Amino acid sequence: MFPTRLLAAAAAGFLLAAAPADSPVNVPEPEGFHTGPQQGYTPPTLTGATVLAIDGLDRLVADSAPVLIDVAMADRRPAGMAADKPWLPAHRSIPHAVWMPGAGAAPLDPAHEALFLRRVAELTGGDKAKPIVTFCHPDCWGSWNAGKRLVQAGYTRVHWFPTGIEGWQESHETAVLKQDAAWAARPASEAQR
Amino acid sequence: MKPFAAALALSLSLSVPAAAWLTGPAQAAGASDTDAERLARWQEIRTSIFGDKAVAETDSLIKVDAPARALDAALVPITLTMPEKDRIAAIHLVIDDNPSPYAAHITFGPAADPAEIKLRVRVNNYTNIHAVAETKDGKLFETTKFVKASGGCSAPMGMSDEEAMKGMGDMRMKFAEAGAGKATEATLMIRHPNFSGMQMNQITRDYTPARYIQKVVVAQGPRNILTLDGDISIASNPVINFAFLPEGSAPVTVTASDNQSGRWEHSFPVPSPSN
Repeated sequence: MFPTRLLAAAAAGFLLAAAPADSPVNVPEPEGFHTGPQQGYTPPTLTGATVLAIDGLDRLVADSAPVLIDVAMADRRPAGMAADKPWLPAHRSIPHAVWMPGAGAAPLDPAHEALFLRRVAELTGGDKAKPIVTFCHPDCWGSWNAGKRLVQAGYTRVHWFPTGIEGWQESHETAVLKQDAAWAARPASEAQR
Repeated sequence: MKPFAAALALSLSLSVPAAAWLTGPAQAAGASDTDAERLARWQEIRTSIFGDKAVAETDSLIKVDAPARALDAALVPITLTMPEKDRIAAIHLVIDDNPSPYAAHITFGPAADPAEIKLRVRVNNYTNIHAVAETKDGKLFETTKFVKASGGCSAPMGMSDEEAMKGMGDMRMKFAEAGAGKATEATLMIRHPNFSGMQMNQITRDYTPARYIQKVVVAQGPRNILTLDGDISIASNPVINFAFLPEGSAPVTVTASDNQSGRWEHSFPVPSPSN
């Protein structure tokens, strides 16, 4: 009588239109960016970038101090919630990551895209060979798109960490992150979701 | 539970400076930041709910039990136990790292037997869960447990909103056998999606607006059993286990209302005591 919630069922449901219906977990890379819903099965690869599991990320962090870029969406106060309810979102993520929520959206407002690339240029000190890691959550296209964006921008050591925050917190402590200040100051855009 | 989590759960129940309770050699560098951060988070929430009122730690007035690692973050079972039930006036449940942390406030009426409450919640991230007992003399006592689960607030229900809202407000109640003069255990099930407002419709990419049970009043005749103030952190199709002290043959009535216009009332005949 009381049905269970199934993320997989929901994800598979909409992927029927976008991916081979018989293999929802073997999603091919799209031509350019993924412009569908951010939540959904992602490809196993990202051409031009290295896909990391947690041990690979651990080694990279230990050896090369990469720039960590979190593009997970910020929680928004739900419409229709009583005004007297405390709303205190805290974004837990990989310590020392730079959080630019929504930077993996596609299409992305051109001004926001320029700001994203400018921030990455600042964070890498203009070194296109500086290791960078993009991540958000499992089954989240935002970090795939963000990685793709950086590959297209000419970064040569882009890494994508698909299991994201959840993959990290399995074995590591998280930290509460504030939005990157420059990113938080961007003008609002209709394109953001 | 990992040693860290156990240490953390223990640490947070002690009101000592952060530096003093970090003793485990296995803890990674930066763990002190994390512990201090989690403590600061609790203090922020505590102040927003209870203001300047003192909240003392307890290991006897209230206990919170939950799976250390939840199978389904949208449906995490919580058991609150109040061994000294005669002293308890109300309980508060806080899920620290949920964006809307104040999950439930339950006050007990004269017909309650507040020894144990069970309910199911959404957990957004690895988090401390705080249970606070309010005694009849107005004092507050807290205990905590670290729970590993994530994504519970935004997890879609796996069906259309229309389907999820079918039969909204339907209720069932199950009573456990009770001997004469004993407390009767009851399980109340309310059909309601309890939309968190953080769940995205996969096709339209719109957020389903929050629609959640705000208040549930349970009584036998004129005698109140409990009043629950709910929140988006309560799982869909809320289920609550409680116990009450039946008196006479009046039915148990339940009135539930949500943050929109939904209001539902049902009454359930109380089983006659068996000897």
